[in-house]
Amino acid sequence: MKSSSLISTIGLLLAAYVAVPLLLGSNQYVMSMVVAALIIGGVALSWALLGNLGGMVSFGHAAFFGVGAYVSALTTVKLGLPVFAAMLLGGVGATISAVIMLPVLRLRGPYFALAILAYAHIFRIVATEWSSLTGGSGGVANIPTLPTVFGVDLASKTGAYLVVLTLVVCCALAYSRIRSSHYGIALRAMHDSEDATRVVGVNSTLLKGAMLLVSAFMAGLFGAFNAHYINFLEPDYAFNSLWVTLPIVAAIFGGYRTILGPVLGAVVVYLVDQLIFKSLIPTGHQLVLGVLLVAMIVFSPNGLLPLLQKWLKKALGKEKKHA
Amino acid sequence: MKRTLTRIAMATVVASAWMSGASAEEFLVGAEIPLTGNLARVGAGMQEGIMVAAEVFNKTNGKHTVKIITVDDESAPAKAIAAVEKLASQGVVAITGGYGSNNISPASDTANKLGLVYITSGGVDDSLVSSGRKNFFRINNTAGYEKAMLGMLADVGAKSVSIVYSTKDATTGLAKDVEKALLAKGVKVTSHSFDPAITDFKPIINKIKLQDKSEVVAMVGYENDYVGIIRAARVLKPKIKAMVGVWSLATPKMAADFPDLMPNVFGTALLAYPTEFKTADGKAFSDAYKQLYKKEPDYLGQFGYVQSMLLFEAIARAADKGTVKKGGVAEEMRKTDRETLIGRVQFAANGDNQNFVHRMAQHQDKKVVIVWPKENATGKLVYPALPW
Amino acid sequence: MTELILQALYSGLLQGGSYALIALGLALVFGTMKIINLAHGELVLLAAYIAYSVESGLGLGPMFAIPIALVIVSLTSVGVYYIVSRIKKDREINSLILTYGIGVILTNFILLVWKADIRSTSSSWLQEGFEIGPFFSMRSEVIFFGVSLVLMAALWRWLATSWYGRAVRAVSSNRDAAKLMGIDPGRTEMVSFLVAGILAAFAGVALFSYGVIQPAYGGALTVKAFIITVLAGIGSIPGVLIAAVLLGVAEALTVTLASSALQELSGMVLFLLVLFIMPNGLFGAVRRRG
Repeated sequence: MKSSSLISTIGLLLAAYVAVPLLLGSNQYVMSMVVAALIIGGVALSWALLGNLGGMVSFGHAAFFGVGAYVSALTTVKLGLPVFAAMLLGGVGATISAVIMLPVLRLRGPYFALAILAYAHIFRIVATEWSSLTGGSGGVANIPTLPTVFGVDLASKTGAYLVVLTLVVCCALAYSRIRSSHYGIALRAMHDSEDATRVVGVNSTLLKGAMLLVSAFMAGLFGAFNAHYINFLEPDYAFNSLWVTLPIVAAIFGGYRTILGPVLGAVVVYLVDQLIFKSLIPTGHQLVLGVLLVAMIVFSPNGLLPLLQKWLKKALGKEKKHA
Repeated sequence: MKRTLTRIAMATVVASAWMSGASAEEFLVGAEIPLTGNLARVGAGMQEGIMVAAEVFNKTNGKHTVKIITVDDESAPAKAIAAVEKLASQGVVAITGGYGSNNISPASDTANKLGLVYITSGGVDDSLVSSGRKNFFRINNTAGYEKAMLGMLADVGAKSVSIVYSTKDATTGLAKDVEKALLAKGVKVTSHSFDPAITDFKPIINKIKLQDKSEVVAMVGYENDYVGIIRAARVLKPKIKAMVGVWSLATPKMAADFPDLMPNVFGTALLAYPTEFKTADGKAFSDAYKQLYKKEPDYLGQFGYVQSMLLFEAIARAADKGTVKKGGVAEEMRKTDRETLIGRVQFAANGDNQNFVHRMAQHQDKKVVIVWPKENATGKLVYPALPW
Repeated sequence: MTELILQALYSGLLQGGSYALIALGLALVFGTMKIINLAHGELVLLAAYIAYSVESGLGLGPMFAIPIALVIVSLTSVGVYYIVSRIKKDREINSLILTYGIGVILTNFILLVWKADIRSTSSSWLQEGFEIGPFFSMRSEVIFFGVSLVLMAALWRWLATSWYGRAVRAVSSNRDAAKLMGIDPGRTEMVSFLVAGILAAFAGVALFSYGVIQPAYGGALTVKAFIITVLAGIGSIPGVLIAAVLLGVAEALTVTLASSALQELSGMVLFLLVLFIMPNGLFGAVRRRG
C-alpha cells in the first residue's frame, strides 16, 4: 500500500475506533443509527465482493443474512453456545446454504440474481413452516446479547458499535487481500473476459464458487450480529427484502467498485436519511432519499467515494493514483 | 370594610390558583408508531387514538397536561429502537405505541433500559409478557380475542369449523389456540394456513366447500385477507352458516368500503356503529375523535386511546406524588384499575391486562352491532346468516 | 378431487393472465433495453390508485378510470425513461438503483396522497360470481383476463407489423445493427417505455378490480413481474403469457394439493427448476454478443 493511502487508512481507523465513541458515545440515538448503518454496510461489502470479484449480481443476500441470523440465534438459545462462537457458526451456516446455491452459478446475469432471490424466499418459508426448529412465524425471542468482555459491556451501544466496526474492518481486510492476491487478479480478468481467462487455465467456476462462499460467510456474520443486537428474530424480518435493497443501494451509492465505498455509502445513506431528512420531513423523508439516489446515479454514477476522492484531489491539488 | 374583604378574597383565589398552576406540569410523552412501511395502516389508526387521548386528557385533567412527540419507526425493529432512544433524548417520561411483536420486543427492551414505561395495544404475542420485562404494559392479548371467538361459536352451537389463517405470528398464535380449544370441546376443526402474499382464496374455500363441509368459516388475518376470503366465498357459495373473523373486520370502514361483502359477517369489535356511547368517557372520546379527524373512531383508535389515557392518568398520579422521575409512573400503572372503553383494565405483574375479553360484533344493514357477550350486546345475533 | 383440481387449473389460468399483464411492461423494457425497471410495480400500483380515486370520487366503475390511468401512467413511464437515458455508462447496473430510487419516490408519493388503507373496488357487479360449468370466478377476474388476452394479441401484432414495433424488436436483438439500419435507438427505447406504461395502466386498473392494493405492494409486484419475465426468457413476449399461466397454475395446484402456506414456495421452486433445466428461460434465445 502506498504511504499516502496507508496514512489515510490509519487515520480513518483511528477516527472510527476512538473519535466516534468519544464524540458520539453518549448520544444513544445516533450510535444506534451508526450501528444499524454498519450492519447494512457489512452486507453491502459482501454484496460488492460478489459483484466485483465474482462478477455476479445477487438479489438474494437476505438469504445469507437470514441463515446466519437463525443459526446464531438458535445455537445460543437452544444449545447455549457463547455468542461469538455462535456468530462464527452463523457465518458457516450461511456458507453451507451457499453451497446449495452452487448449481446456480452457471446462470447468467439476471437469471442468477433472481435465482438467489428465489432461494431467499424459500428459506423464509422453510423458516416459517419448520416451527419445531425455528419457532415458526413466532420466531426466536430473547436471543442473548453480546457478552461482557474484559469489563467492557459489549451489549451497550458503544460496545456493539466496536464489535460491528471490527467485523467490517476484518471483512474489508479480507476483501482487500483476496483482491490483491493472484486469485483476485484472475477473478478481475474473468470479469472482463471469461473465455480468455479460461484459455489461460483459470478455473473460473471454482473461483466464482469460492467468492460466493466468502460473500455468504460475510453476510451471515452480519446477520448473526444483528440477531444478538436486536435480540428478536422472525422469518419475515430475517429474510426481509430490506437486507437486499439497502445494501445494494448503499454499495452502488458509495461506489461499488471500491472496497470502502459500500460501507461509506451505507453510513451516508442511512445517517443522512435518518438524521437529516427524517427530522425535516417526518413522513416523506424516504421520498427525498429516492431523489438523492436518482441524482447520484445521474450525476456521479461511480458512486460517492470516487466523487469524494475527486473533490479531495482538487482540494489538495495532489496527484493520487487510483487503485 | 366590605371592599377590603372582597379584595382579600380575590387575592386568595388568585393566589391559590397561581399556586396550583405552579405545580401543574406539561409532560412529554413519546409515541413510537409505524407511519410508513408495512404497518403504516395500523400505525396511523393508533396514532389517531393517542392524539385524541391527549386532547381529552388535557381538557379534563385540569391540572397537568401532556404533549405527544411522535417518531416514525418505519415498521422496522432497528428504527423502533432508534425511535425510543430519540424520544428518550427529547425528555419523554413514557412511551405509548408500537405494533408487531418484532418491533415491540426490542423497542420495549430499549425503553426498559432507559427507565421508561412502555404501553402498547399492538402486540398480542405471549412472548412479550413472558420475558421478564419490568416496564412493559399492554391492554390486549391473544387470549381476549380467543375468548370472544370461542364464546360466540359456543353460543351458536357450531359443530364444525374451518379455520383459515395467515402464517404471520399473531394470526398463527390465535388460530392455533382457537383450534386447540375447539377440539377440546369436541368441535370438528380443519385448519388452512396461507402465506400472507396470497390474493386468490378460491382454492382454499373450494377445499372447505368440497372436503371440509364445515358449518363455520373462521378467518384470522388482516383486512386484505378478509376481502379476498369473503369474495372467494361469495363466488363459490359453500354451504356454511356463518363467516367469523377477528380484528379489522367489524369496522365502519369495512362496512362503508365493501358493502357487498360485509352483510352478516362477524368480527371482534369494542363498540357498535353508529356508536352510542353511554359513558362520559365514551362520549368524550367519540366527540374529540370526530372533531379532530372528521370520521368515526375505529378499533385502532379505540385501543390507542385507552392505552394512552391510562398512561396519562398514571403520569398525573405520579406527578402529584412527585415520583415521575423515580419510577413512579410504572408504580402507578400497576395500580391501574378502572373501567374503560374496552372493559375493566388491571395490569398483572408481567404487564398483561388479564381481564381483556373482546366482544363479537356482526355487520347488519350497514351497521355494526355487538352481539356477544350478551351483557354488552346492542342487538340480536343472527345465525345462520351469510354475505350472499 | 377432480372438481378441486379443475377449479385450481381455472383459477390458476385467470390469475396467470393477470400476472402476465403486470409482467408484460417489464418484459418489454427488459427485452429492448436490458434494463430492469424496478419502478414498474409502482407504475401498476399508481394506475390502481387512480382507479380507486375515480371510483370513490366520481362513483364510476374502474373501467372509466382506464383513459385517465393511461395518460398519467404512460407519461410517468416516459418520465422514467428520460431519467434513465441520462445514465452514461454501466447502464445495466446503474439503472437498477436509479429505477429503485424512482420506485421509492413513487411508493412514498402514493402513501402521502392516498394514505395506507387497503383499497379495492366496491362495485357489486364486478365482485359477483361468474360460473361456467364447474368453474367459478369473480366477474372482474374473467373480464380482465379477456382484456389481458386482447392486449397481448395487440402487442404481438404491433411488434410484428408496425414500424415502431419492429424497431423495438430490432433494437432488442442487436442495437448497433439497428442503428446502422437507420433506427434511432433512443426514440425506440422511449416508445418501449411508453408501451410499458400503457400495459401497466391496464394492469393496475385490473388489479384494483379483482385484488386489494396497499402502498407497500409496489415492490412485490415488481418482483413477481421480474420472475415471470426471466422465467419466460428474455426477448419472448408470448413466453410471458405462458410463463405467467404456468406460475398461476403451479400456485393454485400447490394450494389445492398441499398447503396454502406453500403457495409462494411453489412459484420459487418452479422458477429454479426451469432455470436448472433451461438456463435461458422457457423461450429465451441465447444472447448473441453485441
